Amino acid sequence: MRMSINWLKEYVDLEGVSPQELAQKLTIAGLEVEGIETMAQASGLVIGRVLTCEDHPDSDHLHVTTVDVGAEVLQIVCGAPNVRAGQKVIVSRVGAVLAGGLQIKPTVIRGQQSNGMICSLSELGVDKKWQTEQQLAGIYEVDESIPVGESEVLKALGLDDTILDIGLTPNRADCNAMWNIAMEVGAVLHRPVRWPDCQGAAKVGVPGNFRLSSKTDKCPLFIGKVVNHVKVGPSPKWLQNALHAAGIKSINNVVDISNYVMVETGHPLHYYDLKKLPHHEITVVDDVEMTMQALDGQEYEIRRGDLLITTGGVPTGIAGILGGEESKIDENTTSIFIEAADFNAVSIRNTARRLGLNTEAASRFIKGVEPLAAIKAVDRSVQLLSSLAEARDFEETLVVGELRNPERTVTETLSHCNQLLGTSFTMEQVVGVLNDLNLNPQQQGDQITCTIPSYRTNLNIREDLDEEIIRLLGYEGLKTTLPQMKATVGQLSDRQQLRRTLQRTLNAMGLSEIITYTLVSKRYIDHGLMPLGEAIELASPMSEERRYVRTSLLMSLLECLAYNQNHKNEDVNLFEISHLYADQKQQERLAMVMAGNLQSSRLHRVQVSSDFFTMKGVLMEALEKLGFSAERIEFRQNDLDQEHFHPYRSACVMLDRKLLGVMGEIHPSLARQLGVSRAVAGEFNLELLLESKAGKVRFTAMDRFPAVHRDVALVVREEVQAQQLIRSIKAAGRKLVREVEVFDVYQGEHVEAGSKSVALSITYQSGEQTLTDQQIQSVHQSVLERLKNDCGAVLRG
Amino acid sequence: MEKIQQVQQQALDQIEACTDLQQLQQIRITTLGKKGSISSLMTMMKDLPATEKPAFGQQVNDCKKTVSAALEKKQTLLEKEALDRQLQQEKIDITLPGTALRSGTLHPLTLVRQEIEDLFIGMGYTVAEGPEVELDFYNFERANIPADHPARDMQDTFYINPQVLLRTHTTAIQMRELEKAQGRLPIKVICPGKVYRRDDDDATHSHQFMQAEGLVVDENITLTDLKGTLQFMADRMFGKGRQIRFRPSYFQFTEPSVEVDVSCHLCGGKGCPVCKGTGWIEVLGAGMVHPHVLDMAGFDSSACSGFAFGVGLERVAMLKYGIDDIRNFYINDTRFLKMFDRFD
Repeated sequence: MRMSINWLKEYVDLEGVSPQELAQKLTIAGLEVEGIETMAQASGLVIGRVLTCEDHPDSDHLHVTTVDVGAEVLQIVCGAPNVRAGQKVIVSRVGAVLAGGLQIKPTVIRGQQSNGMICSLSELGVDKKWQTEQQLAGIYEVDESIPVGESEVLKALGLDDTILDIGLTPNRADCNAMWNIAMEVGAVLHRPVRWPDCQGAAKVGVPGNFRLSSKTDKCPLFIGKVVNHVKVGPSPKWLQNALHAAGIKSINNVVDISNYVMVETGHPLHYYDLKKLPHHEITVVDDVEMTMQALDGQEYEIRRGDLLITTGGVPTGIAGILGGEESKIDENTTSIFIEAADFNAVSIRNTARRLGLNTEAASRFIKGVEPLAAIKAVDRSVQLLSSLAEARDFEETLVVGELRNPERTVTETLSHCNQLLGTSFTMEQVVGVLNDLNLNPQQQGDQITCTIPSYRTNLNIREDLDEEIIRLLGYEGLKTTLPQMKATVGQLSDRQQLRRTLQRTLNAMGLSEIITYTLVSKRYIDHGLMPLGEAIELASPMSEERRYVRTSLLMSLLECLAYNQNHKNEDVNLFEISHLYADQKQQERLAMVMAGNLQSSRLHRVQVSSDFFTMKGVLMEALEKLGFSAERIEFRQNDLDQEHFHPYRSACVMLDRKLLGVMGEIHPSLARQLGVSRAVAGEFNLELLLESKAGKVRFTAMDRFPAVHRDVALVVREEVQAQQLIRSIKAAGRKLVREVEVFDVYQGEHVEAGSKSVALSITYQSGEQTLTDQQIQSVHQSVLERLKNDCGAVLRG
Repeated sequence: MEKIQQVQQQALDQIEACTDLQQLQQIRITTLGKKGSISSLMTMMKDLPATEKPAFGQQVNDCKKTVSAALEKKQTLLEKEALDRQLQQEKIDITLPGTALRSGTLHPLTLVRQEIEDLFIGMGYTVAEGPEVELDFYNFERANIPADHPARDMQDTFYINPQVLLRTHTTAIQMRELEKAQGRLPIKVICPGKVYRRDDDDATHSHQFMQAEGLVVDENITLTDLKGTLQFMADRMFGKGRQIRFRPSYFQFTEPSVEVDVSCHLCGGKGCPVCKGTGWIEVLGAGMVHPHVLDMAGFDSSACSGFAFGVGLERVAMLKYGIDDIRNFYINDTRFLKMFDRFD
């Protein structure tokens, strides 16, 4: 809302209050002043008359003038093409400061003395949009009514205004009206507010033959009035200035009145040229499909559901948004029809948005107009048209629908107010505020009952009154306390703890956390890893890139990998923990992607490359930290997803024989498609971890008896997996096998093709005694036999 | 007798001149060994008269002791010298860089989230979460946002169907928590999570972002309790001594509603570009829970009251760390991620 200080003075005495001070007070009270703007800015001005105007002897465009400024006559060199003797002009004298900080000094221009400057409006800082072509092209010609020597130039020209640009919260749409915002100003300044006395002005008029009707419940109220005589002409200066300050161009007195009243009351109005309405009838409809030309000359496609104003069945305007071209007021208009109607905000919003028509009227209907604004606007129209446009021969006011008068009361007690706010306001303070706001408080004991005026549609419950009280008495005095209540236990849930353990463990091992977008393209859905289910699709996505809710994390991580590799970030070791959603399903997952090295130092010859086994190690350590020991985890042949993974370097990871996730090297063709290098990735279902029982931390006595290590090199067929060998060893050695470590796998020279050599170190140990050579020999022998039987393993010769 | 002196002197001279351990061992053998010079002195004893034998024996023994001691002393010396030499050879350039064992980092939004969670856990709050694919009912209806409100428009909200949407604020979690409590007091939760709005992505807007909201409901909760709680939070998030300021505002689910400004942590309130010269930074939205919201969830709003507040995690992170483009949070450039390697 652009609030003109000069306009405001029509209703409130602002004596002794600077715009800056008012701005600060309003901001504190919740009407945030976002900017302070002056219409013009200049000092040291005076009105003068050009006495003589000669061409400059040494220039083809400059003039040498003498100007009478009342007390003296100045010689001024002027370059404006329109300067001539006899004109009244604005003179900035020596010492004046113009917009932009230009200072006027005595000077000599090509040999001619110049003691001042004749000004254009632009030089005073007047915005281009308020100037005519002629005004933009040269100096400003001052109206004869302003006397020579007048030094209050900006005031005399109506350019001495300041505008506060106020950002309104949605509940204060009432303050889009000057009358209502004046009430706020009165409340913050504790000063009385006078609205123009026009109530009931629309009662004048005789019966006529104009007919009004509404065929839709989206237009619950339509007030119309025929004025059979008006005289169109230019608006008085004050009206033009007021509209300029509000950001509206002046057109003629009649159109200007409709806009002025709109800004005063907040209600959009439309005046029709009565003679151009082919039928003396107006109907509001919402069931037409057509293309129509509007007041702005553009053609608009109207759909069923859009509110339209029709006359004789022919549309003449898009209701509440834009009038029709045919019925526009012009200089020949002699009679008018006034329309003040309530249109459904949602309907107007939909139509305005679709047509891209963000008009002043539409925006007001969308934000909401108060119930009595329509009749206030017609009353004020009649008053102003009578005084400024010689309006007469009124017809009776026509009303379709019901004029609601929602006057209501809201009751609060002083004790509840103070209890909710934590304050100790007195009855006097509270009643004072409610009085300032024109809420008519009636006190009875602890109780205060307010009668809410129609425009304060946001005041309905006692807490609304509490807000009025605190915002006007000021939040700055509020104490700080902490809730006095029963102690509660603050803690994380199991899920939140699990997430934090994962974050901590993965961080410690060198992986960094990322957060990527939930919304993805069709391609990501098609490339889901263990897709959660049928992907959820948005009803109206902003782009194809963000059409679906993702059902897997893999592609998001690979995209992030691609970005980093494209930006020469070589070592990329990342993880993300996120919820996934699909039709009727949700699941939280962990995903990892690793490429390059996890740890490396060329200098110190350390390298942990980001490969399958590193990710496996990371995963196993993380699971261990969550209480899932290695025995419960199994890496199975990946028969689930060979599209995204290297078929021989990927695995299904099982926890207690249930699928936890898939991990492995990215399939080279997918890597090529995405433009990434060799990388490993994996995705795991955290719900399974939450459902499974985690092991407890338990003490077991440290071994007291010595351990014996036996290294064996076995030759087996190449398809035999290390896990099978380890299982056989443990099965044969039972309690005596403490540990089995694979320390080498070899294929090549000295090993038959199709076979491989696997070197293992077996640790034998008993918790009860020192093992004798004989005992060790015997258990080792049975281990070797078992290996031979189960896996066809023979000792390498 | 002179012979003893002579042998002893010779041995001591050799020991004195010796420079390495091997040579010293050789000297040990040639002096104290079975056939060494000192042992051979004993063979001379048999030729001596019996009266001189004890004194001679005594002298040979003394000689043995002296040489032994000299050998030991030299041995220690040479060993120390050898060790010193070895250490010398093992010298390293201690200014070479250490072996970098890189640990990973938490996402900056997680840092902020955990910081907020932990600070409220310390005050007895539990951390509540809820679905991102949410019902219109919890996201809007229960939050007192009327059906014709612009936020409920397809233009602003990602709808999946008329009843289901991507939640637009973590207020939806609060509404579920209120319902879950079935009218039992007190409620004390902090609700962090991802939210979605139909905004074009640019430096200051993101269609996906994170919020954390707090909710306390009990008998006699006041607006001053809200101010005290947020003062505590401001101190923890932006450093001790921050001031907070309430300004009137409007949210459908609170009444009264306030915007909360925190005094600028960079200039201390004097005014700088970050606070646009005002000394204050708008950080939170808050208010007293609207009685309709309480009543709809099965509470008796005449017998209890509550406060709620919400904060954008990106906004906090951007202010705290000086990040100038919100898109950074979702691009995940590893150079960006590395900068946030600790709680600060």
